Amino acid sequence: MAEEAIKAEISAPSAETDAGKPKKKRRSLSYEKRKQLYGYGFISIWMIGTLFFFLIPLIKSFWYSFNDVSIGEGRMMTEWVGLAKYDFVLNADPNYTAFLKDTLIETAWKTPLVLIFSLFIAVILNQEFHGRTLARAVFFLPVIIATGPVYKIISGDMNSTGNTGAAQFSTMFSTDLVGELLQFLGIYGISDKMSTIISTIADNIFGIVWASGIQILLFLGALQNIPPSAKEAAQIEGATSWEFFWKITLPYVSPFILANLIFTVIDSFTSPTNTVMGRILSMKEEWKFGEASAMAWIYFMIVLAAIGLVTFIINKFVYYEVE
Amino acid sequence: MTDTTGAVVKDENEIGGGLSPRQAKKLRMQSMTAEERGYVRRKAVLDAVWPIFRFVILFGLGFVILYPLIYMVSCTFRERADMTDPTVMWIPRHFTLDVLKETLTAMDFWNTLRTTLILNIGCSFVQVVSCALTGYGFARFKFRFKGLLFGIVIMMILVPTQVIALPLYTQFRYFGIRGLFTINLIDTLWTMYLPAITANGIRSGLMILIFRQFFRGLPKELEDAACIDGCGPLKTFIKVMIPNAGSAFLTVFLFSVVWYWNDYYVSSTFYVNTNTLARMLTNLDTELKIRLFQSATVEISPREQIVWKEAGCLLSITPILLLYVGLQKHFTEGIARSGITGI
Repeated sequence: MAEEAIKAEISAPSAETDAGKPKKKRRSLSYEKRKQLYGYGFISIWMIGTLFFFLIPLIKSFWYSFNDVSIGEGRMMTEWVGLAKYDFVLNADPNYTAFLKDTLIETAWKTPLVLIFSLFIAVILNQEFHGRTLARAVFFLPVIIATGPVYKIISGDMNSTGNTGAAQFSTMFSTDLVGELLQFLGIYGISDKMSTIISTIADNIFGIVWASGIQILLFLGALQNIPPSAKEAAQIEGATSWEFFWKITLPYVSPFILANLIFTVIDSFTSPTNTVMGRILSMKEEWKFGEASAMAWIYFMIVLAAIGLVTFIINKFVYYEVE
Repeated sequence: MTDTTGAVVKDENEIGGGLSPRQAKKLRMQSMTAEERGYVRRKAVLDAVWPIFRFVILFGLGFVILYPLIYMVSCTFRERADMTDPTVMWIPRHFTLDVLKETLTAMDFWNTLRTTLILNIGCSFVQVVSCALTGYGFARFKFRFKGLLFGIVIMMILVPTQVIALPLYTQFRYFGIRGLFTINLIDTLWTMYLPAITANGIRSGLMILIFRQFFRGLPKELEDAACIDGCGPLKTFIKVMIPNAGSAFLTVFLFSVVWYWNDYYVSSTFYVNTNTLARMLTNLDTELKIRLFQSATVEISPREQIVWKEAGCLLSITPILLLYVGLQKHFTEGIARSGITGI
C-alpha cells in the first residue's frame, strides 16, 4: 500500500541504481557476506538478551515443570520427578482445573465477541460525523488503562457495588425490551433465546468494551487502507452499506482478524482478572516453582494449540490482496 | 452518502413545499423498476435512521468507558460516609480533599511517582532503541537462520510472561557466572533495565515486529544512496533511517510507557521493597490500614474503602491520562500507520 506508492515514486530514478550495479557486482560476494555480518550486528544485542532473558528461562521453566524445585546454595536445586507435577496440578490441586476451565471458556466466547464488537465500532468510527475525534479518543481510552491494576479495581468495584455502568446500560435488556421489540416486529419464538443471549452480552459489555481498545485501533487502520477505488466501484454499482460491509469491508479487513485474535488472546494472558495467572502467581509465592511451571505450561500449550487451529481455519478464508 | 439519496430525503421532507419536487420524484420513481424503487426507499430510511442509531450506540458505550473515570473523580472528593448514603450517586454531599490527601500519604505518592518515572521513561527509551535496531536488522539484512530467529520473536509475543517469570527470578537472584561470582539483582532497577537494554523488556516482541514492518515499508533506495555516499550501516541507520522513523519511534515509545506504567506482574516478580505506582495501587488496602489507622486489622467496610481505592486509581492514571490527552493523535494513528499488519 504505502510501500507500493513509494516504490512507484522511486521507480523513476531506477536507471541510476542500474548504473550503479556493475560496481556492486565486482565485489558482490564479499558485499553479501559483509551484509550478512551487519545483519547479525544489528540483532546481536537482541540475540544476547533473548538467550539470557527468554530462551534459557523458557527452557528452564519447561525443565522445572518436571522437577521438584528448591532453593539451594547459589542456585536452584532440581530433582527429576517426571510427570508428577502435571499429575498434581491436574488431579490434586483444588482450584487449578476449575480456574483453567473457566478461563478457557471465557476466552473462547469473549474473543469472538471482542472481535465482532471492535470491528463494528471501527466501522462506525470510520464514518464521518460530528464529534468523531472525541468519540475516537473515548473509545481508545481503554488502551492506556485496561492493561493495568486500575482496571482490576475498576471492574472489581463495579461488581461489588453492583452499580456497574454495564448494569445500568443493560436494564434496557433485562426488561426484555428486545424480546418485545422483536415481537412487535412480528418475530416470535426466537425471542427467548435471543434475549438470553443478548442479556448475557449486555451483562458482559463492560468487559468487552474495555478489552477492545487496541483491536478497534487496528481495525480502524485496516479500514482506512481500503482503496477509494473499491468504494467508488461499490457506489456506482449501488451497493447498500450492508452489502458494502460484507463484500468490500470484510474481505479487506480479514487479514487483521487474525492479528486481532492473537492480540485478544495475549491480552487475556496478562489481564489482571485472569484467575489462572493469579493461581500461578500465588503458587510462586509459596515457592512451589515446579507446580507453578506446570500450570503455566498447561495453560500456554492449550492456548497455543487453539491459536494454531484458529489460524489454520481463518487462513482458509482470509483474502490477501495480491500486490 | 450519494447525491441521489440526499435528494430523495430532501424531497420527502419538503413534501408540502409544492408539486414540482413531488412530481419530479414520482417521475423518477416511475422510471425505475420495482427493485430499484425498493432499494431507493430502503436507503432513504436507512440514511435517516442510522445517524440516530449511531449516536445512541456511541453514547451508550462511551458511557460504559467513561463511567469508571467519572466515578473515580466523584469518589475522590467525597467523605467516606457518603458511600453508605444511598442518596449520593454522582455528586458528593460532603465535599472534601481529605481522602485525596490521605491517599497521597498512603501511597507515598511523590516518591512512588519518581521511582515509576525513572523506571518507566528510562526503560521505554532504551527498549525503543534496542527494538529499533533489532527490527531494522530483521527488515533489511539477509542472513542465515533469519527465519528461525524471527520465529523466536514471534514466540516472544506469544509466550506469556508468567511462563518465564520464575526462571527469570532465579536468573536475577543469582546473576553472574556460576562458580565465579553471583550477585543478587532482585529489588534493583537492573531487573527491568537489563531486559529493556537487550530488547527483551515488556512486550518487546511486539515492538520489534512493529519496527520491522515499518522499516520494510521505507524505500530501499534510501540506504543504497547512503551506501554509495560511503555511509556504514550503523551510520546509515542513525543518519538516514532514524530521521525517517520519527513517528514509529514516538508511537512505540508511547505504548512502551503505557505498558511499563501498567505492568504489575513483572515488577512484582522482581521487586520486594521498590514500589511502582501499579504495585502500590494493588497493595493499597494494607498500606491504607497501616498508614492511616496504624494497625493492619482495622475493619473498614469494603464499600467505604472504595473511596480511597478510587482516589488511588485516579492518582495513578492521571499522569498517563495527561500524556494521552496531549499526544492522542500519536497514540491512535501511529500504531495503525506503522503497520502491524504483517502478523
